[in-house]
Amino acid sequence: MSTVIILTPIIIGGWPSIMAAVVGAASALGLVVKETVKEEIKQQQAVEESVEIELANSEVLAQNLASGKEVVLTKGDIEIRVGRDERGRCKVCAKGKGHTKAELKQIAEEFSRKMTQCFVYNRVATELKSKGFQMVNEEVMEDQTIRINVRRWVD
Amino acid sequence: MAQHEVEITISKTGEVKVHVKGVKGKGCLEYAEWLSKIVGKVKDRKLTSEYYEPEVKSRINLHQQLNNEQ
Repeated sequence: MSTVIILTPIIIGGWPSIMAAVVGAASALGLVVKETVKEEIKQQQAVEESVEIELANSEVLAQNLASGKEVVLTKGDIEIRVGRDERGRCKVCAKGKGHTKAELKQIAEEFSRKMTQCFVYNRVATELKSKGFQMVNEEVMEDQTIRINVRRWVD
Repeated sequence: MAQHEVEITISKTGEVKVHVKGVKGKGCLEYAEWLSKIVGKVKDRKLTSEYYEPEVKSRINLHQQLNNEQ
């Protein structure tokens, strides 16, 4: 045994790395990418409830994505929009007919958690590879936790 | 050569638990610092018994010194 550390993730990255996490989360949750980048829809239809949450520890670097543009994902009658707000933070908005605000909030939070997990996985896997670590084992547990075992030899 | 092992657990909320194995002394803190730069803020840190063991080089030096003295 040597050391154990617990880290709270911070999402800071350019749009390509955010997009990779969005696609990963969408795939895991059965969502389909409807449009990659579109103008933000300012007008909401009155019959549709919508909930917007902001990822507190996030910063989307302004690469190819100005504020006010977003990615649209769909699953049935649920639509999730992921974008970058004026302050550069990542925001997730869920809307859908026949769903309560509480349900939509739960959906948006579930997506943002999955997106965060995908972002962290991509980041860690890339860095470990660049440092010469070899993958020994990788598994997804029943509770959706990802466990990675790596090793390397040093002089 | 020494084998360094790292076990990384990413929870469904994105929180990361890193267990560095096989690294003696302060070397494990370098791994901790590197990974915290990649992932985010350190929420908790626990040093285990191996941290307090001397690094491999120190042990070799000590062994050599003992042999020379005999």
